[in-house]
Amino acid sequence: MSSTSVQVDPDSGVVRRTRSGGRPSYRWSAKGFVAPGVFIVAGLLYLPFLWTTFLSFTRYRGLGSPEWIGLDNYVAMFSDPALLTSLRNTAFWVVGTIAVPVGIGLLIAVLTYNMRFGAWFRLPFLIPYAISGVAVGVIWSFILQSGGALSQAMDTFGLPGADSRWLLDAPLNTFVMIGAAAWQASGVNALLFVIGLQSIPKEPVEAARVDGASGWTMFRHILWPMLRPLTTVVVGLSIVASLKTFDVVWVMTQGGPGRSSETLAITMYRETFVQSEYGLGGAVSVFLTVVTLTASIAYLRRQLSERKAL
Amino acid sequence: MKHTRMLAIAGLAGALALSACGGGDDGNGSSDDGGPGTNGTVADSGTLKFYTDKAAWEPQFDQVSAASEDQIGFDLDFTGYSDADTYSAFIKQSFRTAEKPTLFTWHTGDALAELVDEGMVASTGDLWAEAIANGDVPEDLQQYYTYNGDQYCVPLNVAYWVLYYNKHVFADHGLEPPQTWDDLMHIAETLADEGIPAFYQTNILFSFVWFQTLLAGSDPDLYEALGTGEASYTDPGVVAVMEQWGDMIEAGYFSDPGLADDPQVLLNNGDLAMLNFGTFFTGSLNALDMTSGEDYDFFVIPNVNPDLPQTSLIVETGPLCAAEEADDRAEAVAYMDWWLGADAQTEWANARGDVSFNPNAEIRDERLADLGEEANAGDIRLIERYFEATPQPVLTAALDGFGAFVTNPGDPMPILENIQAEADAYWANQ
Repeated sequence: MSSTSVQVDPDSGVVRRTRSGGRPSYRWSAKGFVAPGVFIVAGLLYLPFLWTTFLSFTRYRGLGSPEWIGLDNYVAMFSDPALLTSLRNTAFWVVGTIAVPVGIGLLIAVLTYNMRFGAWFRLPFLIPYAISGVAVGVIWSFILQSGGALSQAMDTFGLPGADSRWLLDAPLNTFVMIGAAAWQASGVNALLFVIGLQSIPKEPVEAARVDGASGWTMFRHILWPMLRPLTTVVVGLSIVASLKTFDVVWVMTQGGPGRSSETLAITMYRETFVQSEYGLGGAVSVFLTVVTLTASIAYLRRQLSERKAL
Repeated sequence: MKHTRMLAIAGLAGALALSACGGGDDGNGSSDDGGPGTNGTVADSGTLKFYTDKAAWEPQFDQVSAASEDQIGFDLDFTGYSDADTYSAFIKQSFRTAEKPTLFTWHTGDALAELVDEGMVASTGDLWAEAIANGDVPEDLQQYYTYNGDQYCVPLNVAYWVLYYNKHVFADHGLEPPQTWDDLMHIAETLADEGIPAFYQTNILFSFVWFQTLLAGSDPDLYEALGTGEASYTDPGVVAVMEQWGDMIEAGYFSDPGLADDPQVLLNNGDLAMLNFGTFFTGSLNALDMTSGEDYDFFVIPNVNPDLPQTSLIVETGPLCAAEEADDRAEAVAYMDWWLGADAQTEWANARGDVSFNPNAEIRDERLADLGEEANAGDIRLIERYFEATPQPVLTAALDGFGAFVTNPGDPMPILENIQAEADAYWANQ
């Protein structure tokens, strides 16, 4: 049986509780409790991923047995001109998602975090986050369809471009869909930035204020550097979310017209479930996984190494 | 020991979690609800599991299910999907499990051939022979259900593709249903001059509709040859049809292809005058309280080429299938036998507000009843809908291509060459 003893560090006065004779049993029971989670993750994530990777080297239409065809699916994927469009659109989504919802979220946070009733100003931006991506797509389809609410409003105010075909012409359709996604995501980014701003210690801010810093100078030299850990998280999450963009695009254009607004995730879905080419869909999903992991790891490594250097 | 006990509890929790994920299947999909087919015997009543991608048709299926329970003792346990792709993946995956889909709807053509090749669906040759012999099913329909000389599945429905029109819009502009293609173009021109799009079109899914109409009405042999790989999408006849289609779009005959509103709402509002759709669309219009013959009507689309001996009429038929290895296959086949009969078809067609494949069914809507008779007359040539007549990979490329074309009409050759490349790849493997 294990027992717990209390020791007081004579130098610092810190109280430490230590367990004697209990470490091995603690480790074993910890493993026992972790095991179900590990089995579930392995069963529902790693095994399907290995199966998908296997399928990517086969020809398989969802019936019968997969037929091994080596790298043919990868050759077909990289020789399809639509993949280039898909990659270009995915790049637009990554850049757009970092620039717009993260940028707007930061702006909202900085303008409101110190403001009286700031939470009430942020609330309208946060509400769309409670809506599913599919609902966002449906709502914005009606706003952005040709002759829809946006065009009618622009027409009423005599603004140029009222006859724009927002969802029909590429790459305009991708840009407006990034806007629709930004409408949903900006609020939560603002919330995260506010948490970051509120956790900044008061002393350096006060010190800077005494030295005469305010406005842009305060933000550029004090707040922004101290927000760095949170920015890393928000941008990292945005990169991953944008690389797997699916729901808004699928609902609004299904990647069309003529595959012009496809993203990699749409290509994966289309090959797998529309074309029933599970092997080719598997190849796209492996490629998408590699792209997402590479981008995430590269970004986090860079950020973390820069933090260490600071 | 305490840690052993904790390990055992944790292990048990894991085992329970995994068994919950596995979903304890007893290998008999119907046993829980007292359904038929247990122990190899053929039941004479019970509930049959039924899956479809026509989730919106649930009320009508419920109505027929109540009728079948009264008449033959079987009702349907309805599961509807509203997304065709998800449904297709679900059905295919279910064949890999112990719980095969007892009864399910599918698509004829390449999609059904795929299931037949894998031995997944029950043969229905005897049902077809009997139904044709007693006049319940026209013999012409059998070709869409015949693979390697045997029949599989039975028709769930048939629908003829016609032009629905808003009678008030026609009356307001002094227009009458056309007798010839030139009449139709005159109507479109008149409406375009008034700023009303004559026809509906979309760049998603149904982007093929006007390609199908124009080609089947110009050269039906070429249309059918495309579906069998005997003709090329770059054939001059196909190119000419695409150019004609482009000219019609440029002339303002079509609605914007990116409209998100339901087409029946657009027709009801008079935002457009005509809709090229299957007769199942009658149900959608009736649901808006539009009255057949008063608010809307339809006509068979005249041939583009007036010299053709018969008028091309697009027909669509969707199958009702039974899984070959379902425990209650015999009961499912008995249900399909009932489905082909006049009683079931009268119930079904009137519930849906559609025509029936069974000439003995009594269709209450007079216009639909007339169309059913007209379709089986000698001056009509029934042409299989493009969606079923085209192999899946070619269809997907074509839908994308046509979607791009209706959005930005221009030179059709790059689009046709792209579709033909898919067709070449597909037919090379057959």
